[in-house]
Amino acid sequence: MTKKLNCIMLVDDNPDDNFFHQRVIKRNKSADHVVVCQSAQEAIDYLKNQELDGWIKPDMIFLDINMPGMSGWEFLEVYEDLILSDKNHVIVVMLTTSENPDDIQKADGISHVASYHAKPLSKELLDELISKHFKD
Amino acid sequence: MKEKPIHSELTFQLMIESTPNAIVLINKEGKIAYVNKPSEQLFGYDRTELIGQLIEILIPPRFHQNHPRFRDMFFSSPSVRSMGAGRDLYALRKDGSEFPVEIGLNPLVTTEGTLVLASIIDITERKKAEERFKLVVESAPNAMILVNQDGIITLVNAQTERLFGFQKKELIGNRLEMLIPNRFKEKHPDHRESYFQAPSTRPMGAGRELFGLRKDKKEVQIEIGLNPITTDEGQMVLASIIDITERKVQESIRAKVKEMENRNQELEQFAYIASHDLQEPLRTISNFITVIKEDCMDQLDSEALGYLNTIGRATDRMVILVKALLEYSRLGVGRQVAEVDCEQLVATVVSDLNNLIKETGTQIEIGSLPIVKGYDVELRQLFQNLITNAIKFRKKNQLAQVRVMCKVTESAYEFSIVDNGIGISKKNFDRVFYIFQRLNPANTYEGHGIGLAYCKKIVELHNGRIWIESEERQGTTFNFTIPKITHD
Repeated sequence: MTKKLNCIMLVDDNPDDNFFHQRVIKRNKSADHVVVCQSAQEAIDYLKNQELDGWIKPDMIFLDINMPGMSGWEFLEVYEDLILSDKNHVIVVMLTTSENPDDIQKADGISHVASYHAKPLSKELLDELISKHFKD
Repeated sequence: MKEKPIHSELTFQLMIESTPNAIVLINKEGKIAYVNKPSEQLFGYDRTELIGQLIEILIPPRFHQNHPRFRDMFFSSPSVRSMGAGRDLYALRKDGSEFPVEIGLNPLVTTEGTLVLASIIDITERKKAEERFKLVVESAPNAMILVNQDGIITLVNAQTERLFGFQKKELIGNRLEMLIPNRFKEKHPDHRESYFQAPSTRPMGAGRELFGLRKDKKEVQIEIGLNPITTDEGQMVLASIIDITERKVQESIRAKVKEMENRNQELEQFAYIASHDLQEPLRTISNFITVIKEDCMDQLDSEALGYLNTIGRATDRMVILVKALLEYSRLGVGRQVAEVDCEQLVATVVSDLNNLIKETGTQIEIGSLPIVKGYDVELRQLFQNLITNAIKFRKKNQLAQVRVMCKVTESAYEFSIVDNGIGISKKNFDRVFYIFQRLNPANTYEGHGIGLAYCKKIVELHNGRIWIESEERQGTTFNFTIPKITHD
């Protein structure tokens, strides 16, 4: 049994994927809270409004690449300059349909991206990531 | 009375001596009556050696026969003849050497009878310059044409003969318009006149498209550079001409190649986007099959579960096809050429296929294979696909035998993968290389139908070609070439 996180954020425009990934997280008891954002901009807005009542800081962010408007790449550019308490302990994971080697290479070159994976999110992947990044 | 003649004579002598030109005075009998100092220098004689001699002493022997007749003609109707008029003239020095000259003739009536005053200029240097000019024009790598103000061609080089198909003698003395297509011929004299009113250097390629007309009536597209040249005969223009027909063809080809490169890029982008967008709904189907199984397991009978599994397998197959499509479009992207040891590569492939080989009892024979320049990852895929096919498409009642061989030609390595399988009908030789084509039902011979399209693309990436030799039920040979030198 791996550690249970406080909060996982999903950033994806596909509601079916969000439903499925949210369900996998809950069934696997990987987090107490799941924040779902259907666009990169929505995710940025959430992370900026930390003073709001009930705001929960995510421990892990699963980020899609291809989204209408702001893409995953553009999110990362904005995220880099974002003020977020204890930011170094927030794990950003690319989770995407693309298996384009160019995208994988691009993600590899970004320091605040922990890793890159193809959808769907699975129990095995969750356990692996939490074991790797959230030892206690 | 006597005073006056002496004075005039002195004045005359002074004038002649002070002129820088060589002056020779000749009497009616053709004898030299007087020469000035410059003449002595020009011909190398002392004047005492010349006075009283026939003028022919100063003329090369080959002209002696005709000269007296010319002299008599001149004396019968004396008139001023200007320098440079008529034919080339030559003079003879005391030391026997010849040199080109220009001569002006003036009749001089005196109390002693009519004399001829000849003014002579050594034009050796000018002749050399002229010869140098002609040599430069002749040796130019492109056509050169010298035209006078009336549009008459006066000089052309060998390249002009080549470009237009006329011989020099067919061109010289004729109008330039003979080299211009009819639809432009009428206006050209006007263009020439306006050019000569303000002659200036006009560089190559300036202005509109231009055409020349060959002897065989074919047109060539040309570029012309114009240079005004001032000569003794008046203003001339030297035209430098290049045939750009070939260049136009090359430009057209380059434009086509560029267009094809753009289309290929578009196709790759399309394949990637299609792959991405097609995978999303497939994943949703797959994900929700999982949801149904997990949440509704106890409500489903085995028949319903069977249906879900069928849907799942179909979805998985579609994902495989879509990914194969993307991989196909990305073949060769970002690869680097390396030295590839094919014998070692094939050995690795055979090792990877070890299970399949054992299951099927396949016998594989590998001949001597070369080291080639190519893309190692792709070449491995190539061999793996062809060897796998050779095993897969075996006869039911016979063990597969596969041979991998290579023959070396002057420019390429020619590989062959030979099997004893079910064979391919001749009408399908091309079709098997089309993407997603399968010739046999999936139940009999499983596959996604893209493998041979991979092979064709990989071979073509190496500037080679791939083809089949086969007859139904008698096995198949896949041949492909890899050039010895790969250009990228």
